[in-house]
Amino acid sequence: LAAVKEMATMDTIQTRREHKTTTASPLSKALKHGDVLFNATIALCALAVLVLMIAIGLMLWASSAPSRSAEGWSFIFSTEWNPVAQVFGAAPFVVGTLITSLVAVLIAVPLGLGIAIFLAELCPLGLRGLLGSMVELLAAIPSVVYGAWGIFVFIPSFVTPLGNWLMNTFGDPNNLVQLPIFAGPFFGASNLAAALILAVMILPTISAISREVLSAVPRSQREAALALGATKWETTWQVVLPYGLSGILGAVILGLGRALGETMAVTMVIGNVAQLSTSLLKPGYTMASVIANQWGESRTVLYSSALLEIGLLLFVMSLLLNILARLLVWAVARRTPEQTE
Amino acid sequence: MSFRKLSIMIVLLVAVAATACATPTPTPTATPVVVKETVVVQPTAKPTDAPGSVQLNASGATFPQPLYEDWAFAFSQRDPSVVINYAGGGSGQGIKDIKASTVDFAGSDALLKDADYAEAPNLQMLPTVAGAVVLAYNVQGVTTTLTLSADAVANIYLGKIEKWNDPALVQLNPGIALPDLPLNVVHRSDGSGTTNIFTLYLSAVSAEWKAGPGAGTAVDWPVDKLGRGQGGKGNPGVAAAVQNTNGAIGYVELAYAKSNNILCSKMINAAGNVVEASIPSTMAAIQDAIFDDRLTAIIVNSKQPDAWPIAGFTYLIVNKDYTDCKKAEKLISFINWALTDPSAQARAAKLLYAPLPPEVVPTVLATADKITCNGQPVTMQ
Repeated sequence: LAAVKEMATMDTIQTRREHKTTTASPLSKALKHGDVLFNATIALCALAVLVLMIAIGLMLWASSAPSRSAEGWSFIFSTEWNPVAQVFGAAPFVVGTLITSLVAVLIAVPLGLGIAIFLAELCPLGLRGLLGSMVELLAAIPSVVYGAWGIFVFIPSFVTPLGNWLMNTFGDPNNLVQLPIFAGPFFGASNLAAALILAVMILPTISAISREVLSAVPRSQREAALALGATKWETTWQVVLPYGLSGILGAVILGLGRALGETMAVTMVIGNVAQLSTSLLKPGYTMASVIANQWGESRTVLYSSALLEIGLLLFVMSLLLNILARLLVWAVARRTPEQTE
Repeated sequence: MSFRKLSIMIVLLVAVAATACATPTPTPTATPVVVKETVVVQPTAKPTDAPGSVQLNASGATFPQPLYEDWAFAFSQRDPSVVINYAGGGSGQGIKDIKASTVDFAGSDALLKDADYAEAPNLQMLPTVAGAVVLAYNVQGVTTTLTLSADAVANIYLGKIEKWNDPALVQLNPGIALPDLPLNVVHRSDGSGTTNIFTLYLSAVSAEWKAGPGAGTAVDWPVDKLGRGQGGKGNPGVAAAVQNTNGAIGYVELAYAKSNNILCSKMINAAGNVVEASIPSTMAAIQDAIFDDRLTAIIVNSKQPDAWPIAGFTYLIVNKDYTDCKKAEKLISFINWALTDPSAQARAAKLLYAPLPPEVVPTVLATADKITCNGQPVTMQ
């Protein structure tokens, strides 16, 4: 019986090979194998994502028409947001989103990478599982909980002392060294608070993916480096990290994506002030926050379409950042040919 | 918000338990029968509609949401055929929804504009209860109740009063040592009926405010431009921002402040008296409310001697004509019950909403009873 089965499998393998060699295989045979059905189903799944993206984009484009025709390009550059006077400019929100997300990434990347390297390279095996799952658990905390923790614990106990110190050290106009990004007055809720909360929130994304990437670096690479006499530090820094660089970049991009779109936690700590400011210590506003805050009460067509246009901007911004990131990953991958095999 | 919902749930459960103990069974004869000129509610003659057969969907203002949810629950216990779903979402959402006929009625703190009526002449506003807005503050070292005047509040929100030891504030509060501390002015970040009431008040007392930011559910705050403003999401967001910022002042609903024991200021009202925010002083403010032919009234800066100056009504928005007769019938009976039944009014009081002045209720009910179904008067069963 086993022999017969073997014969049968041999047979199918042979026919498959034949199919590959003959250019036009009969449809019925292909269907019999289920390949066509399977391929079509999988393709449909993939297509659904594309359709969804296009549908969302089109919806945002169409429903923001009144605002687009009323404000034109100045919508992006105008700083006045006045619902009573029906004047809408999105610049404070665009800038606020970019500042908080970028600062968050700047803080979270070294931290997250540190966690990942420790877990993948240095951590004792017994501790690895526990610490790893703790980091992943951070990702499971709802953002409204982060926000509440931010208001009641994080801002009073950490952000306020830090902000006051920054303001007194660098922001004081009487000092020799003064940086406008640390100019006061400072009350707690601020761009800084939002960026720090975001950094905590994107930390698990960055560290968990980076850890996976580093764990996937072949043992032979480390062994080769160590055999050449490299220290642990040199192995990690010069061999393991460059090998996983494109994957780590991917992790950073996912983190940035989360930071750009984060709504609830940011709304609760940023202060929600629609003013353009160069200071990290002043309250700000983000694109996602203003939509969440004002959608329910947007009475007029122009008002709600202005909010949707902010949604469109955020959509386009995320898309551009993703494309940029993809290009970056490609460039990096090309520079390290051993990775692509 | 979640704390508040939780506490309301608890209050609600306690209330249910209490009523369940007090009255053995809510038999139709035990409930007071309300007789009016046009509609006779006769619970005894009610033919039984299937439980849950009439769904009334609604959305809108979040300010009265706890009350409407409570009312909906209680009403469907009385009449099991009715299920009322009040979805919240904000006054603006409610107005959009009822214009698009996706809901059967809406809740709103903001008034419909002329353009709204032109677009949807079928709409009718009906006041249900009133609420007040108070100013909460946090000044380290000051534990006594501060007194504020209309000018002081307007100048604080215009950004003209920069520090707590400003002469205007010191003069209003003799004997209280106000520190040399910058004011952090907190407002709502989300569009809100509370903001609408508060900015209506500022517009009523300050010409500069009226000409500048104006009144609305979300405005362009002058203090934000000065770097001393801050927005908090919802009443809890404002309260948290005030409590965690030394030198902060912010406006919250009276009901929220009371149920969370938040320190809030007294006000000098239009009559020149120092008043404390409470249900009685809110009721004093709505005593002389003058309703226009749309059944709306603005009651900020009331001239009554005991009135709290920052108050406003919240409204139901209904259609004047419905295509579904059962829905129209149940809606009318719900409104009648909510505004006249002592248990419904007790529920409102328990949640710290001020009831409508008694002399206004008949007018509101008469308007509600005029709701038609496909142009025909609704036959109440």
